[in-house]
Amino acid sequence: MRGDVWLVIGGMAVATYLTRAPLLLALARRPLPPRLRLWLRLIPLAVLPAIAIPLVLLERDGAGARLAVALAHPPLWGAAVVLALAALRVNLLVTVTLGVAVVAFLRALA
Amino acid sequence: MPALVRDGVVASLALVPSVFVYGTVFGGLAVQAGLLPLEVWGMSLLVFAGASQFIAVPMLAAGASPLAIVLTTYVVNMRHYLMAATLAPSFRAFPRGWLPIVAHFVNDESFAVAVARSNPPEPWFFVGSAVAVSASFLAGVAVGTQLGGLVADPARWGLDFAFPAVFLALLAVQLRRPADWVIATVAGALAVGIALALPGTWHIALAGFAVSALAALVLSPEPA
Repeated sequence: MRGDVWLVIGGMAVATYLTRAPLLLALARRPLPPRLRLWLRLIPLAVLPAIAIPLVLLERDGAGARLAVALAHPPLWGAAVVLALAALRVNLLVTVTLGVAVVAFLRALA
Repeated sequence: MPALVRDGVVASLALVPSVFVYGTVFGGLAVQAGLLPLEVWGMSLLVFAGASQFIAVPMLAAGASPLAIVLTTYVVNMRHYLMAATLAPSFRAFPRGWLPIVAHFVNDESFAVAVARSNPPEPWFFVGSAVAVSASFLAGVAVGTQLGGLVADPARWGLDFAFPAVFLALLAVQLRRPADWVIATVAGALAVGIALALPGTWHIALAGFAVSALAALVLSPEPA
């Protein structure tokens, strides 16, 4: 496990450097083609829900993942609070703190 | 040139508190997820890309395959190509030997500050901003790794939910046009479907890559 962590960190470091260095070191003269620029702009819009929604809607255990959609599922309410506050342009840390507080409160009730 | 570096530092001071706290939160949560302080700080120095680190930590904690984590990191960080392409022409007169190091510290905040000041951005100004941002991030992570160990039962305080909360908050501020909502909804639904069908955590890279690529093919690019 511990050796694996450093392996993963090393792999992440190399993968990330490959996104930063090549164009800068090549002193690229031209901007990227418009459709490529569009795609690079859209990636966060697809990646962020791809990680967040399963974390909210799925429960994982040894047997695998299954849907955990019920009104008594605290992360569902936490997610609603976070989305609403963030849409109102409330500060990121305040938003996250309140979302976490809602989940903690509902778990304490249960 | 030293004056420009100083200007870059000064212009970034307003960001220092929030970058520091962001680092503190990351450091604390990563330690609670089971990483050692040295691993968390080493990741922050060597990867130095907050969002991808936030994504990697719950994957590491869930025992995801190293390849899935590295590939997901790559997809999340592909946006750096945009920044590097915009910065590159300004760096033609920059000392070449320093470019490999400067490249490592390309980050969203410094890019935004440098482009807001002048376009094309000023390289030494960018370097000054990157120094301020990286120093406050790494200091924040170091503090966070020490605080994180203090909470005995993170789930009781809802702290496991901090990860999806950060992602949803970052997403919500980017949803502007109707197409953005469609992309986010389809990607989220596809990710849930893949996660139910396949073991492991490939759903993030797969859904993120496929849905954004498809949308880029369908939508018309804005004029650069």
